[in-house]
Amino acid sequence: MTDAARARAWIAGCAVAFALAAVTLPLIGPAPLDPARIWAREEPDWSILIHLRLSRTLLGLFGGAALGLAGSLFQSMLREALATPYTLGVSTGASLGAVAALAMGWHLVAGVSAVWFGALAGAALVLVIVVGVAAPNRNVSVFGLLLAGIACNSVCAALILLIHGLAGMSESFAIARWLIGSLDAVDYLPLTIYIGTVVALALAIMHRARQWNLLAVSEAWAATRGTRVTRLLFGGYASGSILAATTVALTGPIGFIGLVVPHLVRTRVGVDDRVVMPCAFLMGGVLLAACDALGRVVLAPAEVPAGAITALIGGPYLVWLIRHRTA
Amino acid sequence: MTSLLEVQNAGWRAGSVSVLDGVTFAVRSGELIALMGRNGSGKSTLLDLIAGLRRPTDGTIFLDGRPLDEWPRPAVARVVSHLPQMMRDNVACSAEQLVLMGRYPHAERWWESETDRELVEQAMSRCDCRQFQHRLVSTLSGGERQRVFLAACLAQEPRLLLLDEPATFLDIDQQLQCFSLLREEASRGTACLAVTHDINLALTFCARILVLADRGIAIDVPSANALDEPRWLQLFSTRLDVAVTPTGGRWVWYQ
Repeated sequence: MTDAARARAWIAGCAVAFALAAVTLPLIGPAPLDPARIWAREEPDWSILIHLRLSRTLLGLFGGAALGLAGSLFQSMLREALATPYTLGVSTGASLGAVAALAMGWHLVAGVSAVWFGALAGAALVLVIVVGVAAPNRNVSVFGLLLAGIACNSVCAALILLIHGLAGMSESFAIARWLIGSLDAVDYLPLTIYIGTVVALALAIMHRARQWNLLAVSEAWAATRGTRVTRLLFGGYASGSILAATTVALTGPIGFIGLVVPHLVRTRVGVDDRVVMPCAFLMGGVLLAACDALGRVVLAPAEVPAGAITALIGGPYLVWLIRHRTA
Repeated sequence: MTSLLEVQNAGWRAGSVSVLDGVTFAVRSGELIALMGRNGSGKSTLLDLIAGLRRPTDGTIFLDGRPLDEWPRPAVARVVSHLPQMMRDNVACSAEQLVLMGRYPHAERWWESETDRELVEQAMSRCDCRQFQHRLVSTLSGGERQRVFLAACLAQEPRLLLLDEPATFLDIDQQLQCFSLLREEASRGTACLAVTHDINLALTFCARILVLADRGIAIDVPSANALDEPRWLQLFSTRLDVAVTPTGGRWVWYQ
């Protein structure tokens, strides 16, 4: 089988898993749903499915997809195996904005959820700062991006701790809860906007897969094979960060998907980003939506936040992966 | 015939430190040129300027008679290939995948075509690295890796090949193979500008020798008469001398 055929087979397999997850996972939850009643659109099964489970599953599928893709992008772009969607600071900026909104006890800003609003404002602020710091005279390097990103990351993380410490009792609880990262039902209008954004950015990123391959060797290598490295780095940084930050706005900072999924995919399909990126996108979605479904039932009627499950599974799995890779 | 490459008065400064100043020379298609000079004389910087990795602070570089600044980046990559001096040793892809990347400037499509694959196979055979096409680059020895990167540069089908110490890590036989290969490339019309520290290798294989010293081109001679007036060897070391080999050739030796 040629490389191209093998790649298509992997991507198609992952797409089937993604579609199966979209159909089956909404049926899982504390209240059992009867497919026959859903077919007949009988209440309350129909409303539970459409207004709670389906939107939540879609958020999990596309949120996990965004994180899986952003993780694989940053790992290639920064040539850093431990890079995550949160490495370059923008997502931590989003968390900071959301936490600030929670600490102020705001609920709505201009008719939009204050947490979303705060998260996007925080992300935009960090994006501007990192680009400003990393790109003197319109030239940007991987090292500059990493340095500026990690610096912003630490400052934002420290500010989050500070705000958390100073907040009142109930706000503090809400912040702690939000920081674990979890999925919740979302109205279809914001969900549609979110999915549209994710899909558009994902296509733009995957379209440049061959350029990410070149950049993973070195910047000079990519430049002398004919890519415009500065533009590529800016584009990758902005699109990966927006993917991660918009996801953080809706779910909180869910960990490990962006780190573990790309590595898991690479052990199966190799390192070519033309295959890794679509597979990490699809499997990231499947994994997050599955973790969330598991969280709905494992301690029912209590719910375990998806972020806790991904970390509990992802951490040990990563250690196992690294120990078995060298063997 | 116009020159493929013309460097006119090129200079490069890092802040107040001038690395290159008033560098002028031209390269025609099919020439194999050794670029020599002591450590820190600006050889790699000069190759970077020609490859477009750095922009000259003075002067102009012309490719096909057109200033390099006016060339779109992808178009440069279809003409010029650059083998960097130091490559990371932990590149995660296979040798074959790395050489396939050399086809990037030519392949518009998402997947490489059969023609691309054939060219990659040829390039790997010529660089004696096809036997480890499926191995990860990170598991190759320094010399094996160097040959894979050279194959990637050949697969790019450049008209101007810039090589920053192509013989690094290579054993003596592979060094000779490498320069034979460059001579073959030159005979097919590719201009090759290769950095090397081995004067005898340069004199044996390259038609012309450029020596960088004191921020500029100090010597620009055809190899054939380079040793008629051997005082320029002092630019490298005071301990070099010229001897005659049993076959009547001339050889630079040291004590």
